[in-house]
Amino acid sequence: MSKVVEISPTTRHEGHSKLVLKVNDEGIIERGDWLSITPVRGVEKLALGKTMEQVPKIASRVCGICPIAHTLAATEAMEASIGCEIPEDAKLLRYILQCANRLHSHAIHNILSLPDMYIPGTETKINPFTKEEPVRSVALRIQRLREIGQTVGEIVGGEAIHPSNPRVGGMYMNITPRAKAKIYDLAKEARVLAQEQMEFMIAVFNDFQNRDYVEVGGAQVPVPDDLGYHDQGYMATAPMYGSSSLDDNPTWYPERFTEVRPWDWYMGEMEVSEEDPNYPIGGTTAVGTKTWPQMQACTGVPLYDGQPVEVGPRARLVQFRNYDKKGAMGLQIARQMELPDCAYGMIEACEALNTSGKVVADNIPQGDGSLGWAANEAPRGTDVHLAQVRDGRLEYFSLLVPTTWNFPTCSRALTGAPWRLAEVIMRAYDPCVSCATHMLVVDEDKRIVAQKLIQ
Amino acid sequence: MDVLGNYKSVISARAADKDIQKKAQDGGIVTTLFAYALEEGIIDGAIVAGPSDEPWKPEPMVVTTKAELLAAAGTRYTISPNLQLIKEATRSYGLDRVGIVGTPCQVQATRKAQLYPIGMRDVDDKIALVLGIYCMENLSYQALEAIVEDHCNQKMESVKKMDIGKGKFTVYTERGAVSQMPLKYIHKYVQPGCHVCLDYVANLADISTGSVGSPDGWSTVFVRSNKGNAVWDGAMAAGLFETKDMEGVKPGLDLVKKLATEKITKNQKHVDERKSFGLKADGTPKALRNPYETP
Repeated sequence: MSKVVEISPTTRHEGHSKLVLKVNDEGIIERGDWLSITPVRGVEKLALGKTMEQVPKIASRVCGICPIAHTLAATEAMEASIGCEIPEDAKLLRYILQCANRLHSHAIHNILSLPDMYIPGTETKINPFTKEEPVRSVALRIQRLREIGQTVGEIVGGEAIHPSNPRVGGMYMNITPRAKAKIYDLAKEARVLAQEQMEFMIAVFNDFQNRDYVEVGGAQVPVPDDLGYHDQGYMATAPMYGSSSLDDNPTWYPERFTEVRPWDWYMGEMEVSEEDPNYPIGGTTAVGTKTWPQMQACTGVPLYDGQPVEVGPRARLVQFRNYDKKGAMGLQIARQMELPDCAYGMIEACEALNTSGKVVADNIPQGDGSLGWAANEAPRGTDVHLAQVRDGRLEYFSLLVPTTWNFPTCSRALTGAPWRLAEVIMRAYDPCVSCATHMLVVDEDKRIVAQKLIQ
Repeated sequence: MDVLGNYKSVISARAADKDIQKKAQDGGIVTTLFAYALEEGIIDGAIVAGPSDEPWKPEPMVVTTKAELLAAAGTRYTISPNLQLIKEATRSYGLDRVGIVGTPCQVQATRKAQLYPIGMRDVDDKIALVLGIYCMENLSYQALEAIVEDHCNQKMESVKKMDIGKGKFTVYTERGAVSQMPLKYIHKYVQPGCHVCLDYVANLADISTGSVGSPDGWSTVFVRSNKGNAVWDGAMAAGLFETKDMEGVKPGLDLVKKLATEKITKNQKHVDERKSFGLKADGTPKALRNPYETP
C-alpha cells in the first residue's frame, strides 16, 4: 500500500514549488510529481500589443536570476520575426553577456546545493556560511566568481540585473578598449577560480554519490547508485549561446514541440498519509492535508517528440561533448564543468571583439507578422521565445523556459529514490520556477482548465 | 546659514604648468587636480565638459588621459549635463574610480546618487573625486548664442574666450576684438531652475573652486572633505600649484561671501514667493514645490 508524502514548499531554489510523492513501505518513491505553485506572471499577455523594443525589457522582468537569458532570447525572437541580422560585434557582446550570466548563476547554485553535501572524507555537512576552513575560502571563491560575472554583465549589458544595453537590431553601444581590458582581466582571474571551484565541487558531489548513507533530518537515508536516473532524452541547441530561426542550420525544431496541460499530466486529488516533522526546514505537510497536483500545477507540460526532455548543463554536454554521466550528481558535475567554459568564452569573445565596430544593424525591418523563435542556452537550459511582430508591434509571444521543460523530466527522475532525497534530486536541476509559470487561459479548451483552477 | 559651507582651508592658487595656465579659464585648478589624480591612480577617468560639434556647446565626456583633459579645459557658459555619463562611466567605459566636475546643483545630484543609489547600482562606491565650481546661474545654449551673437555682436565660431567678471560678460575673438555686455542684461536669459538654488560655492564637493575672490588668472579654492584634503596636499607636495594666502589677496574672501550671500538671499526670496504661487479651486494659495522641504 503506497503512502503519500508532500514536501511543500521546496527550499533553496528560486521560486515556489512542491513535491508530491507516492512512496512504498520502504520509503522509496513509486511516482513523484514536482510542480510549480508560483502565481502566474502573465508576461506573455502583458507584452501583447507593445512595441518590439519594449518586449525584451518586459520579458527580462520575469526573474532576476537570468534576466540576461530572457532579454537575449526575447530580443532575438523579435529579430527572428522581423528578419534582422545584427553586426558581428553586437553578437560578440551578447556572447560575453551570456558567459557572464552563466558564470554568476552556476556559482550561486553551488551555495544552494552545498548544504546537502559533506566535506569529502568527513562526516561534516557543509554550512556555506561558516567561518571555518575549507568552507570559508570556497564561499569567498563563489562570491568572487559571482562578482566577476555581475561586473562583466554590468560593463557589457549596462546593468547586471535586467541589462539595458541589448536592443532589437544589436546593442545600444559598444564598449571602450579600457572596458574590454577590464573584462579580459576579470575573465583571466575567473578562469583560475572556476577551475579550482570545479575541482572542489566535483570531489564533493562524487563523495556524496559514493556514500552508503546520508543523514537527512536525523534519519539515515541510503543513497542509491541510480539516484535521479531517468530515461528521457536531452535537448540543447548550442554549447554556449543558442540558436534562432534566422540561423542557416537552426538547432531547435518548433514542429517537434507539443504541449499538454497539467490536468492531463499530473496526479489527481490525494490525501497526505505520511509525515516527518523532523524533515529539514519545518517538516513535511501534515497527515490528512488534501493535495491535488493536476489542479495546483501552474505550468504547461512541454513535450519534445511527444516526451518530456531534460535541458540544462548535462543536456548541452551530452549533445556536444559526449558526456555520459547520469543521475542527479551527473547533472551537478556537468554544471561545474561549464564553469571554466564561461571564463574561456569571455576571453575568446574579447579577443575577437572590435571596440570601434558598429553594433546596430543599418536596417531594422518592422515585421510582417511571421513567426520567429530564438533559443538561448540559459544557465538552466534552453530558453525558447516565440514571437510574431507586425508593423513594430507584438502580436504573439510565448516563452518555453528551461525549468518548464525540466518539471516533468525531473518528476520521472524521482522514481526509485528514497523520498528524503527527492529535494536533492530536484536541486540538481537548479530550478528557477518563477519564469516557468504560464498563463493558461488561451482558447476554448484551455479555458476549462483555468476554470477548474479557480474553483 | 553659513553661505560658504564647511571647509578645511581656503587658498588662492593657480597651476604651475604653463600649458594648463594658457588653456584654462582662470587658475586651471580642475584640470590640474584631475591630471594629478589620473597620474596617481586616485581616479582612472573623469567626467568633464568636453567640446562638441557646435562651437561653445559643451558635451559631457569621459577623459582618461591628460591630453584629453587639456582639450576639454576652459569654461563654456552653458549647461553640460555631466551626470548623464556617471553611470555609463562605470559601465561601458569600464572605470572603477570616477572623477566628476560639476556646478553646485550637479554636485548635489552626485551626492544624492551616493546617498540613495536608486538606479545607480554599483555607481555610488565608484565616485572617487567630486570637484565643484562656483555658479551664480546658468544659461541655455540658445541664451548664450543670443548674448554672443546679438548683444555682443560676434560670431560664435570666431570666439576665443568668454569671461564673466567685474559686472560684465566679455567675449574675446580670435581676430582680437573684445566685446562686452553688462551683466544686468543676462537675467532674462537665466534658467528658471537656477532661481531656487541656494548653493554658490558647491558646498558638497570634495574641493570647490572658482575665480571669484582671487586676482586675474588665479582661483579661490575651498578644500572641504578629508578626501579632498588628501588630494590637495598631494598635489601641493608635487609642486603643481602656486599659492597665495587668502588673507593677502584682493578682492579676497569677502567678495566670495558677498556674492554667495547675494545669490542665496535673492533665491531664498524666490523660494518664498513660490509658497503663494497660484490658486487652488477654493481660493487658497497653491504653492509650488519647495526643493528644500520634504513634502
